[in-house]
Amino acid sequence: MRPRLLLLSAVALLLLSACRDPKIASYRVPKEKDPVMPPAAEPAAPPAASAPSAGATMANTAVTTADGPGLVWSAPASWTAKPASAVRKGSYLITGDAGATADLSITAFPGDVGGDLANVNRWRGQIQLPALAASELATATTHVDSNNLHLTVADFTGGTPAAPLRVLGAIIPVDGATWFFKLSGPAPLVAREQAAFAAFLKTIRAPGSTP
Amino acid sequence: MNDVTRQFRDFFVSLKLTIVLLALSIILIFAATLDQVNLGIWAVQQKYFHSLFVLWRVGDIPVPVFPGGYLIGGFLLVNLISAQVYRFKFTAKKSGIWLTHVGLIILLIGELLTGLWQEEFALRLDEGQSKNYSESYRFNELAITETTDAAFDDVVVIPEKILARGEAIQHAKLPFRVVLKIYFPNAALASRDEPATGAPPAPATPATKGIGLQATATPLPLTYKQDERNAPAAYVELVGAEGSLGTWLVSADPRFPPQRFDYAGRTWKIAFRFERSYKPFSLTLLKFSNDLYPGTDIPKNYSSRIRLNTPDGRDDREVLIYMNNPLRYAGLTFYQASFDGPKTTILQVVRNPSWLLPYIACALMTLGLLVQFGIHLVAFIARRRQAASAAV
Repeated sequence: MRPRLLLLSAVALLLLSACRDPKIASYRVPKEKDPVMPPAAEPAAPPAASAPSAGATMANTAVTTADGPGLVWSAPASWTAKPASAVRKGSYLITGDAGATADLSITAFPGDVGGDLANVNRWRGQIQLPALAASELATATTHVDSNNLHLTVADFTGGTPAAPLRVLGAIIPVDGATWFFKLSGPAPLVAREQAAFAAFLKTIRAPGSTP
Repeated sequence: MNDVTRQFRDFFVSLKLTIVLLALSIILIFAATLDQVNLGIWAVQQKYFHSLFVLWRVGDIPVPVFPGGYLIGGFLLVNLISAQVYRFKFTAKKSGIWLTHVGLIILLIGELLTGLWQEEFALRLDEGQSKNYSESYRFNELAITETTDAAFDDVVVIPEKILARGEAIQHAKLPFRVVLKIYFPNAALASRDEPATGAPPAPATPATKGIGLQATATPLPLTYKQDERNAPAAYVELVGAEGSLGTWLVSADPRFPPQRFDYAGRTWKIAFRFERSYKPFSLTLLKFSNDLYPGTDIPKNYSSRIRLNTPDGRDDREVLIYMNNPLRYAGLTFYQASFDGPKTTILQVVRNPSWLLPYIACALMTLGLLVQFGIHLVAFIARRRQAASAAV
């Protein structure tokens, strides 16, 4: 009898290996704090930049990502801050003559989001320009090192002769994520803001570092 | 014993079976080693060793093509036990072999139990942060939490595996059904007006609530690299008694925050997250130290000063975890595994109730071999002495 029992238990042990299915579970846990993040469906409170700042020409806007602070920057007072959202870390409206508007968007995503070439070509596609080849990327972009950050800066003009469009953009890798700062709109308005944008890029830094 | 039983027994006792099984395991290990290039070590272990059969997918149907590690190991175990019971007669002369075989049986059982019971989690703590759970390296779960009460949260967790089946899920604790619309085992997130490039275009997003209004997920190929993990994403619709509450985009990317909503006078949040394992105690990182060799970036030593406490106050003490000095507590072992920046430690949390078995097995096998060779040695010396004294 004993040997047969031994055999049986060995086989049973083997069959155990078949039952490892996960199950839906429910439990109660003490309250825990989430990373602070407003629900995206409702517009979040406008960032500090939109509040009238007493005499300051630049307003500092610190934006916190889901997993900790990301980058901070100071935007020119003439830019109107729009509500940030879960995707847009920052957003500004720039108004020109005759109701013309340009948009500055600040977004961040995990990883390299396809690499510089793919992102630059995406911007070109948005203003009806053909995609660049990998070999053309180096001449089409410039690189700026500022506040310990490495910026890949692009400047493209496209659109139609009647309505030319221009994109000024900077791509910044930070801690395994990629940040995009993009100013886009009618070419004359973007040209007017070009110097402000360049100055704006210089203010971007990690929260702990000194400008 | 009737004929069938005898045949059955003879099959399992036979030495031929042992040879065939050993040959099969050689082939299995060879194939698995080659496949590691494609799948990485963890997926290879699951596919080849922690399975009854190695499966190949023909279309959508998994076809078993070769016996897996559990099957071969299981048969070896039965074979060894049967041989031990029926073939080997325990005599003093063969006691060494007998011991060695018992050791081998324990080793096989230990490996099976390790495969079944071992759990590996990560515990990531920033300085000053307390956690009473660790997170899975591999698995994710959809967590729907009722946050109405000020003191506690009621959580319903749906493992990714169950969610991915695509069946509508109704749970007693939820006043709505969870319906999967789209599921990507690995995905990149992008802003809705600027889909991520380098990935195929995302299908039209069905999200009607939350972050999905501004973000989309695009499928990515699964990664099997040791240092990467897949970040699955899904569009999930919640359907209450009066109809749909909306469709949310959820992603297991740790940067993707939980999303809140109100329903039936109660507040909820929904999140796709790393599978959690809650503990009846909490750990707080007091200080993380990372010493480098002077003038280099090479870590010399890194250590975490942790405060361990239980809600009932039975345990409240400080412990120091550093390389080769893990904390063993409540059946878990906390190893200093990694770190992220100067103030964040990553501990590996392992539960392996059968960790002692391989040690016992190796000790028994060593002892068995010593005894067996000792017996031979003694007999050999005795024979030589006899021969020598006969020659004199």
